[in-house]
Amino acid sequence: MKNGSDAQRAMAEQTLRRAAAMRTARAAVQAEQRAAPPAAAMGAPHKQRAVFDASHTENIPGARVRAEGQGPTGDAAVDEAYDGLGATFDLYWDTCRRNSVDGAGMELDATVHYGTDYDNAYWNGERMIFGDGDGRLFNRFTIAVDVIGHELTHGVTGHTANLDYNGQSGALNESVSDVFGSMVKQYAATPRQDAVHADWLIGAGLLRPGVKGVALRSMKAPGTAYDDPVLGKDPQPAHMKDYVTTTSDDGGVHINSGIPNKAFTNLAISLGGYSWEKAGQIWYRTLTDTRLAAASQFMDFARVTVLNALQLYGNEGKRSVTEAWSQVGINVP
Amino acid sequence: MRIQFETLGGFAYFPGLHRPLRIDTEQLTTLQAGEIESMVRASHFFDQSDSIRPVGAADYRSYRITVEDGEKSHTVKVVESAADRSLLALLAYLRALGAEGPTQ
Repeated sequence: MKNGSDAQRAMAEQTLRRAAAMRTARAAVQAEQRAAPPAAAMGAPHKQRAVFDASHTENIPGARVRAEGQGPTGDAAVDEAYDGLGATFDLYWDTCRRNSVDGAGMELDATVHYGTDYDNAYWNGERMIFGDGDGRLFNRFTIAVDVIGHELTHGVTGHTANLDYNGQSGALNESVSDVFGSMVKQYAATPRQDAVHADWLIGAGLLRPGVKGVALRSMKAPGTAYDDPVLGKDPQPAHMKDYVTTTSDDGGVHINSGIPNKAFTNLAISLGGYSWEKAGQIWYRTLTDTRLAAASQFMDFARVTVLNALQLYGNEGKRSVTEAWSQVGINVP
Repeated sequence: MRIQFETLGGFAYFPGLHRPLRIDTEQLTTLQAGEIESMVRASHFFDQSDSIRPVGAADYRSYRITVEDGEKSHTVKVVESAADRSLLALLAYLRALGAEGPTQ
């Protein structure tokens, strides 16, 4: 450059500046790609929903009645399912950068009006199925957005930790669904609810008037959701000293989930703010952590949450998570 | 014919809804008894085996059914989404009987 003209020198300097700028930009993109979860690398968010109507039969999937982008049908169950699928997609994408259930933009499918007087909602491994309830004890199961988030999260778990649906690993599977279902509800609320003001109820509004109860489960106060002559009393424990050993309910998956539910709620409330900001990040990292095995027990799960809290939020995060588990009788060494 | 019918699983565990229903066809009307016995035969109940747990599924319902008919007794655990049509018809009938109230 020493021997060139001023014009040549200027051009050369401009070229060097551009090259440096490009290197900086490329390095920034590479850093972002490393930091981002794998789902983000799959591309833009792919929100693709479809709702089917079984017309009160048990034939799945039924007739497609609402596809992505189509307006409301006027059928409450169809429209609630569609909106709930969207709310769940949004929570996972906006807060965890997860692109749908499989992390790769999988279509979210739901079948409503399943069976006759059908008092249940379930995940069949591929889609959500919702009954309309019997009208005596239960309303339609699409009425609670957290139930929709719960079912889709079973799909997420199936694509990640794949926790065995039995005993403690099954109770963790159930609890993770309640955790994310509840966060979907808090995130979709207008205005959004913070951890302190959220009700932490699963299935509020599902019980018909006259049934003595407020919901199907309470994450904040397990065992207090209902006490009714027909349903019986909510059997969920809130502490390991009350852990229920049973062969019913796949080894108590919907019973002992009260313990990790309470631990998560303790943590979210103690941290303050929105539950998805810190507590949810720790739980999502744990669900997608290869150190979590399918047969993981409560202590295994708790250990991985502590490791992730340390990594994400340092010693203060570690202390908060350790304390949240300790309050339910799980003492991580 | 005596039948014990128990609902397992579902989105939540309700102790009051998981009590077994016990039916003795001799205590039913002739019409009801005939319908149940016909459905048990149509489903080849005594040849049925337990359902295989559905892969990746959760919150599904399953049912434990025991039928005693004379000297014969057989129990199966059936996942509703995996049951064949003839067994689904029997399940629906038993569920409806359970919803009517205790028969024991």
